[in-house]
Amino acid sequence: MGEYLLELRPEVEAFLFHEALLLDDLRFDEWLALFADEARYWMPIAETLDYDQSRVSAEGEWALVEETKAFMAKRLERMKTGMAFAEQPRSRTRHYVSNVLVSVGEGETVIARSNILVFQGRRDRKGEFFAGYRLDSLVRHDSSWLITERRVFLDQRVLPRALSVFL
Amino acid sequence: MATALMNHAEIETDDLHRLVDPARGIVNSRVFNDPEIYQRELTQIFMKTWTYVGHVAQIPNAGDYVTAFIGEDGVIVSRGRGGDINVLLNSCRHRGLAVCSSDRGNARLFRCPYHGWTYGRDGALLGVPKMQEAYHNELDKASHGLVRVPRVEIYRGFIFANWDYGAVSLEDYLGRDMLWYLDIPMVGALGNLVPIGPVMKFRMKANWKLASENFAGDDYHVLSTHGSAFRIGFLPDYDQLADYTANFDHGHGMGDIPKPGRAIENDRGMAQMFGPDAATYVEAFNARVREHLSERQADVHGIGEGNIFPNLSWIKFGCFHAFGLLQWLPKGPDEVEVWQTTFFDSGAPQSVKDYARSQMSQENAAAGIFGQDDGENFERISEVLRGAVCGKQDLHYAMGLGHEDEVKVEGLPGRLGPHYTEANHRNFYRYWLQLMTGREG
Ligand code: FES
Ligand SMILES: [Fe+2]
Repeated sequence: MGEYLLELRPEVEAFLFHEALLLDDLRFDEWLALFADEARYWMPIAETLDYDQSRVSAEGEWALVEETKAFMAKRLERMKTGMAFAEQPRSRTRHYVSNVLVSVGEGETVIARSNILVFQGRRDRKGEFFAGYRLDSLVRHDSSWLITERRVFLDQRVLPRALSVFL
Repeated sequence: MATALMNHAEIETDDLHRLVDPARGIVNSRVFNDPEIYQRELTQIFMKTWTYVGHVAQIPNAGDYVTAFIGEDGVIVSRGRGGDINVLLNSCRHRGLAVCSSDRGNARLFRCPYHGWTYGRDGALLGVPKMQEAYHNELDKASHGLVRVPRVEIYRGFIFANWDYGAVSLEDYLGRDMLWYLDIPMVGALGNLVPIGPVMKFRMKANWKLASENFAGDDYHVLSTHGSAFRIGFLPDYDQLADYTANFDHGHGMGDIPKPGRAIENDRGMAQMFGPDAATYVEAFNARVREHLSERQADVHGIGEGNIFPNLSWIKFGCFHAFGLLQWLPKGPDEVEVWQTTFFDSGAPQSVKDYARSQMSQENAAAGIFGQDDGENFERISEVLRGAVCGKQDLHYAMGLGHEDEVKVEGLPGRLGPHYTEANHRNFYRYWLQLMTGREG
């Protein structure tokens, strides 16, 4: 328990809840502004092994998502073309963020670990869930925070569908 | 016609000929939704053709294994002590459950969880608990090993298996003409073309053939389906990238073949953005193709995408592009599980590797801006096929009908076609029909 920055937790939690709200309200431009310019977004592939299920793509191996803020911005630009058919019409999403724990990161950063459960409702279909946890690296920015790195570790070996939403 | 079909317990050969008529450019939507047709595919298509089951680099040592599927049948691909590769049905001979439930690993034995029968790396039944008390020592172990897939062949490290004893060899099945193109990235690699991480897996609620026929050369969809990628400048103008399609015997097809000289020019342009390492790499890759294959293959340099019949698609543009293999595993008439493995040249400079790896995730993969829009469109097709009318309509596959032999380019093998044609689709369904009906031609 000693490793957690308990006094920072309410503030970091509120930041993550706000970030989730911006995504679910489709306020993507405001959402992207919460990321630092050089921010990285990485989501490795989980593997099913005999005993230990912690094996995911290592650095240098390919991943479900491996990009920087510049490409995340391209994704948003793409959605505005009206031709991003996987998100046309736009999905309804609900990001549930919980079990937030804050610890000391490298340099000025803190690491927020959180569990996520994301519902995606697509057109008239019944919808899909994505479940896992995130490790977000955050730095102070004015009175709030900026995300410098987001790592998402999904518990699903086989994704229920292609990934067209941000987790 | 529809009523007559519904009264049959089993789809008749003549019915299939009415549903699929490549000569007239017609494919009826029933082939994408009918459970009987699907069941027939599992035996007539998937048990008669070569299925990719893994790569030798995934199982370098004795005891290494990966699991895979042939049709809906799970298999274990395991490396024996002598380096031999066994492809074994992943099903206990006692009650049938899978004896291995992981993606990969290293095992001395495969132990069935139910009653504990154990099998060796070659599938031999080695251990039966309580052999004396339960079986009076009368169980013939020798005849109760895991079922072996009889034909296993390897092309440049890619392992394929086939249930059909009488099948043509893997190399003949793939065919010299298609291999002429596929050899380019395999031989051009300065090191080895190896998997760069785990197999990515995701589901699409769509019939497997929709994905296969798309990769077999549906270049026409790119303009609309992937219109967003062009609008945001992810790619240059489509007609600046590629020129031709080609189809081959056994239902294989490919699209986005660049005219000779085009791909190397594009790569030289890209290298300028990456720096001197990358520029050297382009020339070294191209020189290897020129030296070990041919002048003409070096001129082609980058190859586009394609589908190896029935359900193995690949994508590979220039030398900076990773080699993506996509298996469209059938999971019922309206569902497919995509298994994507990405390969790259182990001998490429680090900067080139970093680009190729992240580019594939961003482009043609589960979260890729191409992959997700393709998947959405395939699903939208399968959704409407539930309708009584939509599910029995003739679909239009006639693009370029009667113009099949109009493209000829010196030295390029295969039945070449223009960028936009459905000749490759018709070639796919012609072979499909041949296998499904058991008739020639
Ligand atoms: S089912 Fe495998 S040992 Fe009984
Ligand atoms: Fe596509």
